[in-house]
Amino acid sequence: MNWFREILNVAISGLTARKVRTLLIMLGPVLGAAGIVAAVGLNESAKGDVRQTLERLGTNLIVASADGSFSAGQAPTLPEDAVERAMYVSTVDRVAGITEIGSLIVLPSQGGKDFFRTIPIPVLTSDQTLLDVLDAKMLHGRFINGADENNIFRSAVIGQDLANDYQYLPGEVRTIDVDGETYGIVGVLENVDLVPKLDTAVIIPKSAAEEDFDVEQKPTTLYVRATEGNVDSTAEALPMAINLGGDEAVTVAVPSDLLEAQGAVDTTLRNILFLMGGLALLVGGVGIANVMSISVIQRSGEIGIRRALGHTKTTIALQFVLEALFVGVLGGIAGVVTGVCVIYLVSSILGWIATLNIPLFLVAGGMALIVSVIAGLYPAWKAARLEPLETLRLG
Amino acid sequence: MNSTGLKDPNPVNSRQTQLFCLNDVYRIYGEEPVAVHALDGVSLDIHSGDFMAIIGPSGSGKSTLLGLLGCLDLPSRGSIKVSGTEVTELDDGARSRLRGDSIGFVFQQFHLIPHLTALGNVATALLYRDLTKSEINQRALQALDTVGLAERHDHRPVQLSGGEQQRVALARAIVTDPLMILADEPTGALDTKNAKMVMDIFKNLQGQNRAVVLVTHDLEIAEQMDRVVSMRDGKIIADDLRDERKQSLQDTFWESGSGSKLE
Repeated sequence: MNWFREILNVAISGLTARKVRTLLIMLGPVLGAAGIVAAVGLNESAKGDVRQTLERLGTNLIVASADGSFSAGQAPTLPEDAVERAMYVSTVDRVAGITEIGSLIVLPSQGGKDFFRTIPIPVLTSDQTLLDVLDAKMLHGRFINGADENNIFRSAVIGQDLANDYQYLPGEVRTIDVDGETYGIVGVLENVDLVPKLDTAVIIPKSAAEEDFDVEQKPTTLYVRATEGNVDSTAEALPMAINLGGDEAVTVAVPSDLLEAQGAVDTTLRNILFLMGGLALLVGGVGIANVMSISVIQRSGEIGIRRALGHTKTTIALQFVLEALFVGVLGGIAGVVTGVCVIYLVSSILGWIATLNIPLFLVAGGMALIVSVIAGLYPAWKAARLEPLETLRLG
Repeated sequence: MNSTGLKDPNPVNSRQTQLFCLNDVYRIYGEEPVAVHALDGVSLDIHSGDFMAIIGPSGSGKSTLLGLLGCLDLPSRGSIKVSGTEVTELDDGARSRLRGDSIGFVFQQFHLIPHLTALGNVATALLYRDLTKSEINQRALQALDTVGLAERHDHRPVQLSGGEQQRVALARAIVTDPLMILADEPTGALDTKNAKMVMDIFKNLQGQNRAVVLVTHDLEIAEQMDRVVSMRDGKIIADDLRDERKQSLQDTFWESGSGSKLE
């Protein structure tokens, strides 16, 4: 144990005696490890907000839509009791249906009518449970309620993006023109990440839609929340449960899959960045081998005297390998810390959510260590092979 | 007569312990026909208590002999025994350990490790011996005290004069209590005053049951030694005791009539 402690001390004193050179050697692993951590970390941080949204929204939402051609200005529909049928699936937690009404022109009641005429605005009716199923929130006002339905009120809830387009001010009493009928805006729905089409939609009571536009109360789309961990099996069971062998074709989609794909780190890009970091590390390793080889020549006198004093080739080699090991350990740690700092700095500037990949730290630090030790092997071998007679210049 | 065929220089040595024994040693560099015969059948016995100089002109084989005596090199042919152990049969590790245990080196250029203090330099000789740090420091400090430098133990070589650096090197050589101190021109880089001081320390080391062997060009230094081995052309041509050797020295350095330094 003494032996190892002594050789550690010799290696440390060898490094601390030449601080500037040690720092220069260390730059290789520092830059390499920092490059790997920062490159991959920044790539992940750039996607961090999407993934955070996913975590918030959950991944158990399933969308079941009617599949088929439009007919008579009406989107293809699901059976009228599709919501009840969906609830028969034991893994379904809650369901809300919407009915999209096609071919309606929506305009703000005042100003810019000609401009807005060109923009298609989806108009739909929905179950009152929609907010609950989508975990959506109202930005202002309220959602369509029982009073609206029962009294056939011309109330409308509009999406947040549409409210912005119409320059709707919170609390302002505004109306909206839905295919010639004037509806009063009672609330603005906050953007729904999983169902972006609601962000520009107008939602009106079913009763008013039936009255004004003669719409069949058949849902066009169901939003289904599956119980935890049963998304795939639920999605598989839903079409059969909804159409029960009928004509209506049903397609199901899991929107979080798409979002997940968007949020997934670009593997190719990450691999390229990782390789670039690795390349930096490799160049750093060559630097270590180079500087340490020169160092062996410069320290040949020291090596010679140590050999004369009885130090074996093995201890001399080990001394240099340990020096390289220290460079690797310290350089790796410093590199990871530097990389983390870069991630936080860039994320704060660009408004990303800094994502730290702890296993990557170990990989980057470990690679710095391995490259440093491998780089130190040749100089160590060279040092061990130095003949003391040649270095001590006797006689 | 000894194995060299020369007269035994020190009859007293027959009662002393034989430490080093070179028997018919050859050291040849390169291969024929361009081979250099640096040592050509050298035999030499070194006993405890020997206070000995190896002298000879450049190219006589002194350095080669020093390398072999110091177990820093191996002969092309012949036998080298240190306390009865055949050096040529040892691997590098065993030879290094034997060197560390048996031989203390002093060099003309001191060869101190620049980033270590005087104490650290001396302590370097005690590493890898399963000693505790305090034992190492205590022994190193003791050795520095022997050469009168205990108070300067925390100075680095650059803060010491040439004479002091050589005394630190001497402390490093004796700290392991070796069988032989092997010094290569130990006063070569020193002024007269410091050279005398270093030689006085060597003389004090004499008689401590170890051999002191100096390789030198300097006749004045050689004259202070009890035994002088003269070399020429890779051979030992004389191995004399103090009283017998004046004429022999002059014979050896026929070129150096004008001064005491033999080149």
